[in-house]
Amino acid sequence: MLGAIDQGLITALLALGVFLTFRILNFADLTVDGSFATGTATAAVIIFNGGSPVVATLAGLIAGALAGLVTGFLHTKAHIDPLLSSILVMLALYTVNTRILWMAGSDGRRPSTVALLNKEHIFTWLIKAGLRGSATSILFIGVIVIVVLLIVNWFLSTKFGLAIMATGDNPAMASAMGISTDYTKIVTLMVSNGLVGMAGAMWAQYNGNAAVGDGTGLILVGLASVILGNAIFGTRYVWLMTIGVVVGAVLYRLAIYWALRSPFLDASDMKFFSATLVVIALVLSQWKGAQALVTKLSPWRPKEDTPEPMASVPNQFSPFAEVDGAHQSVSRKPGHATPTEQTERAQ
Amino acid sequence: MLRITGVSKTFYPGTANERVALNNVSLHLDEGDFVTIIGSNGAGKSTLLNIISGTLSVDEGSVVIDGKDVTKHSEYRRASGIARVFQDPSAGTAPHLSIEENLAVALNRGKRHTLARGLTKARREDFRTHLATLEQGLENRMKHRVGLLSGGQRQALSLLMASFTHPRLLLLDEHTAALDPERAELVLKLTAQKVGEQGLTALMVTHNMDHALRMGNRLLMMHEGRIVHTLNAEEKANAAITDLLELFSREKGSLSDRTLLS
Repeated sequence: MLGAIDQGLITALLALGVFLTFRILNFADLTVDGSFATGTATAAVIIFNGGSPVVATLAGLIAGALAGLVTGFLHTKAHIDPLLSSILVMLALYTVNTRILWMAGSDGRRPSTVALLNKEHIFTWLIKAGLRGSATSILFIGVIVIVVLLIVNWFLSTKFGLAIMATGDNPAMASAMGISTDYTKIVTLMVSNGLVGMAGAMWAQYNGNAAVGDGTGLILVGLASVILGNAIFGTRYVWLMTIGVVVGAVLYRLAIYWALRSPFLDASDMKFFSATLVVIALVLSQWKGAQALVTKLSPWRPKEDTPEPMASVPNQFSPFAEVDGAHQSVSRKPGHATPTEQTERAQ
Repeated sequence: MLRITGVSKTFYPGTANERVALNNVSLHLDEGDFVTIIGSNGAGKSTLLNIISGTLSVDEGSVVIDGKDVTKHSEYRRASGIARVFQDPSAGTAPHLSIEENLAVALNRGKRHTLARGLTKARREDFRTHLATLEQGLENRMKHRVGLLSGGQRQALSLLMASFTHPRLLLLDEHTAALDPERAELVLKLTAQKVGEQGLTALMVTHNMDHALRMGNRLLMMHEGRIVHTLNAEEKANAAITDLLELFSREKGSLSDRTLLS
């Protein structure tokens, strides 16, 4: 079970990346499946060839960021739909990742998996001491996650971070305020996929291998963590949301761990289980009763502001906007004209 | 200050929906001018504003601000000098960001988005003073999300966000049209106050002829993509709404005659 927490903390880095695109930028980025595997492959090949573990981890981060750069470029400069541009990159990365793994093959062999047995990596000391999946390993990975968490929060509190949040919230306003939304989108996708790549690099080292299919379905893990975390901790403040995401990632991994222990479920059922879990979370988050229950069960959640009458919140195109309790309470009263209706009347 | 020369814009050219929005429009604004623009729907008022701000590109003609040709500059590059308030109260603010975060974004308009802190104690104090001038009690709700404010409050905030950085040019696109008369009056009062205090150069599009006559030092009437009448400060002061209506109907009549004869 402690091993599951270890793994949950590693996927928390991925979930933070997904949080940046889905929640902050309102960009449905599926690059994640590809960039995670790019992270695992890059780190594994470097370590396999005797490279430094820290360099390998950072290389995973950079490789992921480059994948994000391509997605951002396809979307902003080639004007391809966010979903489609990220699917295109995800698909193309499969080939790239295969080729990266080939670099670990000698004598013209083309391995589709690279094992890191007896290689020096960031978790070697834990494994040697038999502490993988112990309080020590949780502390070690936890410290890394907390450092990343602080960096993400600092990043979002800067002028550039505010520009990113404005881009995701109201692109037209951001543009009118002199923000190059192309630039903010590209940088956010790079940071997001960089975190995903770094998670991949740590994942490969933790599990001692990397394979082409490593990233498959991981976007769901990221999404589930974000939805779960935001449901528990609320969305009042950005820092609270990021903490929620980390906790959500760990809880999700624990749920998978317990599901796997049940005699009815096999490891191969996990994709179906994950998809079902995300559907349930999405449906529940639209249901007010569930929100009230979650709020009741989570006394630590700070209260949302009460809206003024006449408040209007424009539809967010993110499917997760509904998770936010504040928006649910803004309901249209009959006879209360919306701004657009009033305009029509005035004309 | 602002010089627009021979600007034309056609939407959906070459299709059945082809519509000439602007037809060879020229306009000159001096420093401190406050020009109001009226006209019927489809007269090209909003298109003109969108072309000045760079949201739309021109088919022909040029836009020069402070002697610099910005015709080819994208919207965000022009934003350092141009501030806007939109018709839709939700368009000018970010609903999920707090009031202070919105103001911080506005404060940084046209500047580089660095990794310096977005909000500092000094900046918050500054925002508080500015918010107090709106007399909406927003200075005590700085951490509240803007999406929770009423339409009038959001529009007042938009106006503050547009004006408190002393933009070279302020564009007001029917910014009171979505509000009830009482709130429209309040926002209009704030507009006069902000523009007057700082001597801003402004362009205000409106459907309300009373507003168009009361505000500013020049009035333009647009019809079918052209500026058909200009009233200077003196003519404007002596004009009544009925005079404007007269001008309007004459314009419509003359145009339909022309259409018939052609």
